[in-house]
Formats: sequence, structure tokens, C-alpha cells
Amino acid sequence: MDIFTTFKISSSALKANTIRLNTISSNLANVETTSTPEGGPYKKKSVYFESKPMDFRQHLDGQMKSAAQGVHVTKILEDEDPPQLVYNPAHPDANDDGYVELPNVSVIKEMVDMMSATRSYQANATTIKSAKRMALKALEIGG
Amino acid sequence: MNNIISVGQPNALPLRPTDTSSVSKAKSGFGDLLADTIQEVNSKQLSGDEASDKLQTGTAEHLHEVMIAVEQADVSLRMLVQMRNKAQQAYEEIMRLQL
Repeated sequence: MDIFTTFKISSSALKANTIRLNTISSNLANVETTSTPEGGPYKKKSVYFESKPMDFRQHLDGQMKSAAQGVHVTKILEDEDPPQLVYNPAHPDANDDGYVELPNVSVIKEMVDMMSATRSYQANATTIKSAKRMALKALEIGG
Repeated sequence: MNNIISVGQPNALPLRPTDTSSVSKAKSGFGDLLADTIQEVNSKQLSGDEASDKLQTGTAEHLHEVMIAVEQADVSLRMLVQMRNKAQQAYEEIMRLQL
């Protein structure tokens, strides 16, 4: 049942892209958040992808090792760019000079990332569909 | 599968007609194969059921995992049906032999 390896790999990519989209939605939700439990404004978060071999047998087999690699999110990084400063003395989080620190999230960049995540998700969903079509075609050989 | 092939090999033919060990071994070999496949297909069906139960009760973590479990069950079942069709065709072919 090797056809299911494709399913597993694509499934890992779908999961990774779901996490990526969650991160983007978190960034967009907090685009104007000035205070966090850790203190300071919200910091933009991004995912870190890492490939992983899909099963141990292939891990042992050097030939196949590069052929079947899934992906998973190993960590979520915080962007270290400085926060945007906006003059608003009436704001409760304003500093002594009247500036408020807003998150370093760019809505445009997030939208582009979101499109990219959606397209990756679609590509991997199509891979699964394709794998299924191939399996069903193979089953038609006998019939 | 090797056991099934060995039935047709010359050393299983008329010289020793009473020796049916390879035949019986082949029979259990195919039976085992069939039982294993059915078991595997059944477990795929069960995990598909379990995944869709989880989706209905709201405990499913990811939607795509549910769909993939169901798709795997679907493909496995289709393969089993094709195997059954093939076995039935072979049986019918043998039953049509003129003696």
C-alpha cells in the first residue's frame, strides 16, 4: 500500500500550512495590539518548516531517503524588527514622549503570505487527489 | 504468493500425487493473504469511521486528516472489491471447463 505514502507526505504539508495560516491569522488579529502578557506590543510570528523522513524503512535506505520527505513545523519564530512608533498621547500605552509602540506586522505582507499558504495548501490537496486518481486507474487495469 | 506459484511447478505434478503438502500450504497461503488484506481494509474502514465520528463530535484536530482517512478507506475497499472480482472470474473460468 505504498500509494498511501503520498497521502502521508501531503497530509504533513497540509498540516504545516494550516499552522502557517493560523500564525498569519494571529498576526492579522493582533495588528494593533499594544500590550501582551510578556509586555510590549505584539511581535510578528512566522513558522519554521523542517523536512522529515516519512517512515523508518526509508530512513534506513539511503536511496529512498531523499525521495519521501514530509514537512513539519518545528518552531514558531518571533520577528525582531523594531515596533512602529505612532504619536498618540491619549493612548494608555503611550510612553513619556506620547508615542505608542504598535506591532511590527505589515498587513500587506501578511496578505501575500496568506495567498502563498493557500496556494501551497491547494497544491498539496491536488497531489492527494492525483494520487487517488492514479490508484483508481491502476485498479481499472484488471476490470 | 510464492506458494501459489509453486503449485504449478513440475515437482508438484504427477510423480508424487499423494504429496499435497505444497497444495495445502498454498491454500493456507492464499487464505492468509486474503485474511490479511481484509483485516487491513477493515482497519482502514474503522479508522475512517473513527475520524468521521471525531469530526461530528468536534474533537477532530484537522479536517484534512479526516478526509484522508476516509479516502484511504475508499481506495482500500475498491482494491478489495477488485480482488474479489478477479477471484470470482477465475472461479467461473474453472467452472466452465469441459470435462
